[in-house]
Amino acid sequence: MPHRTHAIVTDKEKCIGCVTCSMACPTKAIRVRSKLAEVDDELCIDCGTCMEVCRYDAMRPRTSSPADLKRFKYTVALPSLTLYAQFGKELHPGQALHALRKIGFDETYDISWMCEMVMGATDAYLSESTGPWPKISVTCPALLRLVQIRYPDLIPHLVPIETPRELAAKLRRRRVAAEKGLDPAEIGMFFITPCTAIIHSIVAPVGLEASHLDGAFSIADLYGPLLKSMKEDPGSDPVDSVSVRGLRWAMAGGEISGMRNANSMTVRGLHDVIYVFDRIEAGTFSSVDFIEAYICPDGCVSGGLTVAGRYTAQRNLQEAYRLLGDQTLVKEEKVRSLLREHFFDFEAEIKARPVRPLARDLREAIALKREKDALMERLPRKDCAACGAPDCETLADDIVRGKAQLSDCVFVRLEALEKERSAEQGGDHD
Amino acid sequence: MTQPIPTSRPAGEAKTDEVLYGESFRIVGNDFEHGGEVATRVKAILKQLGFPTDAIRRLSIANFEAEMNVIMYAAEGSLELAVLPTAVRVTVSDRGQGIPDIEWAMQEGHSTATPEMRARGFGAGLGLPNIRRNSDEFNIESTVGVGTVLRYVVYANGKAGS
Repeated sequence: MPHRTHAIVTDKEKCIGCVTCSMACPTKAIRVRSKLAEVDDELCIDCGTCMEVCRYDAMRPRTSSPADLKRFKYTVALPSLTLYAQFGKELHPGQALHALRKIGFDETYDISWMCEMVMGATDAYLSESTGPWPKISVTCPALLRLVQIRYPDLIPHLVPIETPRELAAKLRRRRVAAEKGLDPAEIGMFFITPCTAIIHSIVAPVGLEASHLDGAFSIADLYGPLLKSMKEDPGSDPVDSVSVRGLRWAMAGGEISGMRNANSMTVRGLHDVIYVFDRIEAGTFSSVDFIEAYICPDGCVSGGLTVAGRYTAQRNLQEAYRLLGDQTLVKEEKVRSLLREHFFDFEAEIKARPVRPLARDLREAIALKREKDALMERLPRKDCAACGAPDCETLADDIVRGKAQLSDCVFVRLEALEKERSAEQGGDHD
Repeated sequence: MTQPIPTSRPAGEAKTDEVLYGESFRIVGNDFEHGGEVATRVKAILKQLGFPTDAIRRLSIANFEAEMNVIMYAAEGSLELAVLPTAVRVTVSDRGQGIPDIEWAMQEGHSTATPEMRARGFGAGLGLPNIRRNSDEFNIESTVGVGTVLRYVVYANGKAGS
């Protein structure tokens, strides 16, 4: 079995084989077989929807554990900006950074200034690019997977600038190695993540040969220890390096709010992403320069591994912006010189991973398509998911691909049983 | 003694215009709410059949434009999909006002769209030229007061990188 890279695993003890996750999965990647939810690696985009809807806590994120820190001589925590929004509106980013150090990381590294750098780099890229339009942000790794699987034609639309978290880790590892005289491999760079998609992007990166991060702790897992630490030691680390312009990136709309190019739009949530991306594919959004899009409804503050609700989190962030004033740090000259050094560039090509056709041969695929259409006539179209597939059409697809049987449908089985019974009764009376 | 029935082609050569799969979709005039759905459905079918992504992309652009044309200018119409061995042929026919001057309408920037349509982001006068640009064969016939028949073919391995 190939090494599994996805960030969500089914807890076999807890999963009871209900079909809630299967029905909720936006890419129809889950089948329930033998009372266990199985995730199809080819279709999963690690969006975390299954985790959110599961009532039995059976879908678990594959986060790092404290033992992982021991593998390194020196550890650095890079918190998602969303972490700052978790603890109430009076909290300053410096307090969260301080608490992170206290719970076991050797140092913390704020990425808001790198967010501001990437905003500048994206502006510069847009002003020089020749299309195809619109260009699409690569911040959300679940979105990136969706493009690879469902919208491979939109790959040339992706802005080939690495994400702030990866760039920050790359830069900081280099500096720490030089400052402390350590081998880069002895330094552990850990992201404090709001979502599962970022965990997967570290294990199986897109646009990179290997991630510059070594692992990720979830905000939810660290929330308790951090809160306790803040109460016992309400200190604060210096925040001279916090960029308020960069901080806005935590919310949907924040990336473009820090950019000069105003011919852009923010697309929130998977449903809207599909609506807009279908139209970009059809060529009707080409008058827009830049699209910032998130699978989660309000961007990273609504990630599945956060604690504060997304509305509270956004209120908290607004307060942080107000307290910190309009702190911007990045000089345009610095961005330009890093651009010339190709610091922001993708390190690997983004590959299309389109869903397999029904068959390689056209005639064979057509025969299977007809078979699938005929199966749809036989299936009840109740989309009850009792068969383990999320709906009748997916079951029909699984059947023609040899992954399921018509008798998996309870209605078909019931019908057969009734027919058998009436035939028997008919025989009695003859 | 029976003679084999003579064929118009040498034995072994595949008939390139043989329709392997066909499906017809209805388009309702002025139904902006469902605009683009036919193009999306056709795209899903061709993905399942394994057509090259570039051919699907070009065909989807053409289908979307053609579908929106029917919605904007006609009472009703249909899109007929015909999958051929190495190409896809689409025929979009409508019952509508027709196009008085096809040559004029085929030029970029020429449009008879109403302000309402323009407010929805249509009517840039790029529809028909866009369909022609993205297809490998293109044909249009129109009768004023009766309707328009648009027929275009996208080859599985045509106009790469257009």
